[in-house]
Amino acid sequence: MGNRKVRTPLSILLPICLATFAAHAQSFRVQCPTSTITHPSTVTNVNAEPAYNGPTVFATVPVANGQGGYLTPTSNVNGAIKCQQISGGDGYSTMADGTQTFMFSFGPLSGLADIANGLPGTQFPTAFNSLYPYPTPLQPGDPATTDKASDSPYTQGGYQEGAPGAFAWNGAVGLVPDVDANNGSGTAGALIDGHVDPRQIMDVGVMNGNIPAPLIGIDEDDELFLTLTNVGMIMRPDLFEQHTVHFHGYPNASSFYDGVPDASVAINIGGSFTYYYLSPDAGTYFYHCHITPPEHLQMGMVGQLYVRPRQNRLASGTSLYAGLQFQQSDLRTACSPANDILCSATLPAINTGTAQGPDKLGNPQKYAYNDGDGSTAYDVEYPLQMHGFDPNFHFVGMTFNPEAFVDMKDKYFLLNGRSYPDTVRPGPQATQSSDGKMHYSQPLPAIINIPVGGKALLRLVNLSVSEYHTIQSLGVPMKVVGWNAKLLRDQEGNNTEYYTNSITLGGGESLDAILDASNTALFQPGQVFYLYSPNLDHLSNDAENFGGLMTEVHICNSVSSSTFGNTCN
Amino acid sequence: MREMKKMNRANSKTIQFCGWAVLAIVLTGSAFAAVPGITGPTFNLTAQDAHLNQPDGSAVYSWGYGCSQKPSGFVPQGIANATCPSMQVPGPTLVVTEGQTVTVNLTNNLPAAAGNTSILFPGFQVATTGGVVGLITQEAAPGGSVTYSFTASSPGTRGYYSGTQGDLQVEMGLYGAIVVLPKNPPANCSAGYHASNLLAEQHWGESDFRLSTAAYDHPSTCYDREYLFQWAEMDSRIHRQAEAQVLDPTRVALCAQGAATAGCSLSVQTEPYHPAYFLINGRSMPYLMDPNYAAEYPHQPYNGNPHMHPGELVLIRTVGQGRWQHPFHEHANHVRILARDGNLILTPDGQALAGILMFNTDTTPGQAFDGIFYFTARGLNWDAYGHHPAPNTPGSPADANASLPCTPDANGYNTGDPTAINYFEWCQDHNKPLQVNPFGDVAAGGPATLPDPNIFTNGAWYGGTPYLGPDASLRATAPACDTTQNAGCTTLLPSNTQANPANERGWAFMWHSHNEREITTNNVFPGGMLMMMLVDSREFVIDESL
Ligand SMILES: [Cu+2]
Ligand SMILES: [Cu+2]
Repeated sequence: MGNRKVRTPLSILLPICLATFAAHAQSFRVQCPTSTITHPSTVTNVNAEPAYNGPTVFATVPVANGQGGYLTPTSNVNGAIKCQQISGGDGYSTMADGTQTFMFSFGPLSGLADIANGLPGTQFPTAFNSLYPYPTPLQPGDPATTDKASDSPYTQGGYQEGAPGAFAWNGAVGLVPDVDANNGSGTAGALIDGHVDPRQIMDVGVMNGNIPAPLIGIDEDDELFLTLTNVGMIMRPDLFEQHTVHFHGYPNASSFYDGVPDASVAINIGGSFTYYYLSPDAGTYFYHCHITPPEHLQMGMVGQLYVRPRQNRLASGTSLYAGLQFQQSDLRTACSPANDILCSATLPAINTGTAQGPDKLGNPQKYAYNDGDGSTAYDVEYPLQMHGFDPNFHFVGMTFNPEAFVDMKDKYFLLNGRSYPDTVRPGPQATQSSDGKMHYSQPLPAIINIPVGGKALLRLVNLSVSEYHTIQSLGVPMKVVGWNAKLLRDQEGNNTEYYTNSITLGGGESLDAILDASNTALFQPGQVFYLYSPNLDHLSNDAENFGGLMTEVHICNSVSSSTFGNTCN
Repeated sequence: MREMKKMNRANSKTIQFCGWAVLAIVLTGSAFAAVPGITGPTFNLTAQDAHLNQPDGSAVYSWGYGCSQKPSGFVPQGIANATCPSMQVPGPTLVVTEGQTVTVNLTNNLPAAAGNTSILFPGFQVATTGGVVGLITQEAAPGGSVTYSFTASSPGTRGYYSGTQGDLQVEMGLYGAIVVLPKNPPANCSAGYHASNLLAEQHWGESDFRLSTAAYDHPSTCYDREYLFQWAEMDSRIHRQAEAQVLDPTRVALCAQGAATAGCSLSVQTEPYHPAYFLINGRSMPYLMDPNYAAEYPHQPYNGNPHMHPGELVLIRTVGQGRWQHPFHEHANHVRILARDGNLILTPDGQALAGILMFNTDTTPGQAFDGIFYFTARGLNWDAYGHHPAPNTPGSPADANASLPCTPDANGYNTGDPTAINYFEWCQDHNKPLQVNPFGDVAAGGPATLPDPNIFTNGAWYGGTPYLGPDASLRATAPACDTTQNAGCTTLLPSNTQANPANERGWAFMWHSHNEREITTNNVFPGGMLMMMLVDSREFVIDESL
């Protein structure tokens, strides 16, 4: 029993409390509706992000015999429906010194191809609800198995064996036609209604943990349906561990979908639960399991989540200031400091006259926030998660012993689940798990490629459970534009952004820093700069004294896309 | 043997979980927090030793400030069982008004081996009388006294703590908070929403437990409710070593010849530092959520058990004590930082707020901050109260509270009638359903399908439905649970223990250290720096007198 003490007077509660565990039935399912009250398919295309030219127009639909009804969109519908499925279970990752580390973890159960390519796994309904198209069934380890992944490095560019590409499907694992639900309906073909074949979920989801957990990326005005499917932990059959998803930093969250097991429900093994949120204001958030947090977070159940602003969707040529004015006409998105003390995206004090146009890649300019003045514009973006693993705790966590929290001491310091030099290996990192299959255990690299003269948004998050971390930028200045998913702006519209070469975050904190390489005299193609932790003991991979929290910043003639998975030309 | 171990591991977690939840219910009933303290402007304090109770059953030898005689008063008005013992951790919260001349007479009643002691009041111009010369202030020698006086020059929350051998004395518990109330709270803090929030309180028979209506003499610092949290960690090895030395007969004999006698003074190692206790207001979860002045914790009178109604501006007064930083994560919304160490953070023209918004408000040793939080459920995209325009179940009697009106004010909230249950509802989502096919008397046709409750485990603060308040929670129960037959029935699993009873059914959010290791008590989860904040529907009376 170790240090886990039990207060004797409460032992009478034992039988009652254990009954909780007796009640679990297998019930996997996914949810991704193709039409909702907020996104009616009769009024809008739920599979695309329309341009933003003002708030959604609503009307109240009267209900017979009742007083009023509720607001329903009639035109100008913004946002779309987004869906994602993740597993809660266990898995292995590879540390930079070659050690395989056991994790409690989330893994992808949808958007597998996108996740393997370093992208968010979040999908529109049409992609999420697409059935697995290949003749060979889904295999344990997929997509790494189909990709013939190995643990040796590969070069980028074009498909090759052992690199992502062969497996190109992003649908929900397990989704199959619901033959029963179709009985007697007379329509041809069975319904796609969220019914799943649990065998496929177990084949792909078991021992398939990722660090970081699958990336979630959504847009303001989206509805997100995030399904958590608890596949159990193969290495710890003694544990009846539930899992949850806590949407960390969500303003005005509901308690029901907040993922705190004490305040809501927790998902037993064999069950699926779909979390439902309308996107909060733009910003860098993250998610994690909230079951026994010192344990489940240390063990690896931590992922990144960001919300892109409406400003990205303004039509070319539209004034950013005018775009922000549109949002002020909807009370849900308005920021009037006199009436709301907890908002910061108010109209800027100075109208810079900036209009929406192309970025350095020729794409529509992207922004971290609805700034109205272009102050948070960037060309490329990279979510970066700081975390730490205590190898001792992970070893004990794999065995049938109680862990101690007081002595927790991280010895692997991770950026996106990897330590230097693994942080600068392109593509997903694969680990052979105890099932003998390769799994994409650490899909995200941490290489920062910036086109010459460009700006890179770092969405920085610290999910360590025991350490504050500092990250220093050696060379390229950082412009800090957001803190804890809010624009840095005072109540009179003055930007309070600041330049620095280092940032410090505690566990559970996020900030947005733009690496500003716009000075082409200083930052030229071919140059390499470093991001590293000046907490010098965080530059270690356990016994190796050089590695840890460090990665490279490359200045490129051009880049092939705007985030991880791109090539530096 | 292996089987045995496996079972033990799983069971021990469950027992703890159920255990502390139940304990909290048994002791609390309805125990809330406010900002309890003592009034002056003259404070007669003593520094003494005593033991602090921790939920692992240990009683940790500590030092703290307390009252050497009855204080001139207790605030807020109506708080029950208020006392000021001769030793408490944190020390008494000193509540004064801007402009008052504050006098603190400190007597050193610590064991002679502890040596001198003192108090620092960072942020004030302190004059000292009496005592003996110390390194950074005048000190009280063992058995002796010293007097500190200063003008409470500006409002705000600040810490106070020992200025003598801080690595030992602050660790032992010699710290507290001083709250300076604004002399002229701005008039707007008693108008508008603040006035209608008071009307709502009065309608339900709820008392006002605020110390003031504003944190500062600034119209953007109004608040409707307030809490004080002091964060500190504790390494019990240091405390055990101090206790052993204080009790050591040889040392006792030497000290009897005078505290200056060679060999009397303690020699306690304060490094390496390895805390296993993580405290808010001197307590750890679950004791943290028990009532203020609970008899079980005679030397830890202050709790952490925040409650609020939708729309109220809640002032969070926080002081970092101890020696570590702690990332204080407030679930459910951001916090606007108003001020640090009593210094308002304003725009260049001084008219508006410029402090940042944080969902993790770091606490830093020696630093205090004031911040504003609120919760309204705006933007959820479903009706938090489970309202609907017409009865759902044909033939069933409609609950009048199921179809309340929601009339948006200029900001979109239902504030016209402060007596309404759904006062401050976010009207854009009014009547909008969450569930495709809900149970009970709530709206259908929403986006979400909830799974079979048998695959859930219910938390102690889970009310049995997604909805807010006792009325909605009753209406949204399973068909088998006919509320006309059984007014108290719920969809909770039979195994569920309740810390959020049928007459409350608030929405619970965890407020805790996000260095998650710190939500443990001596290796046991849950514990440490963790409390549940409850957003309560209007018909539930938040009684902070306890
Ligand atoms: Cu978990
Ligand atoms: Cu939390």
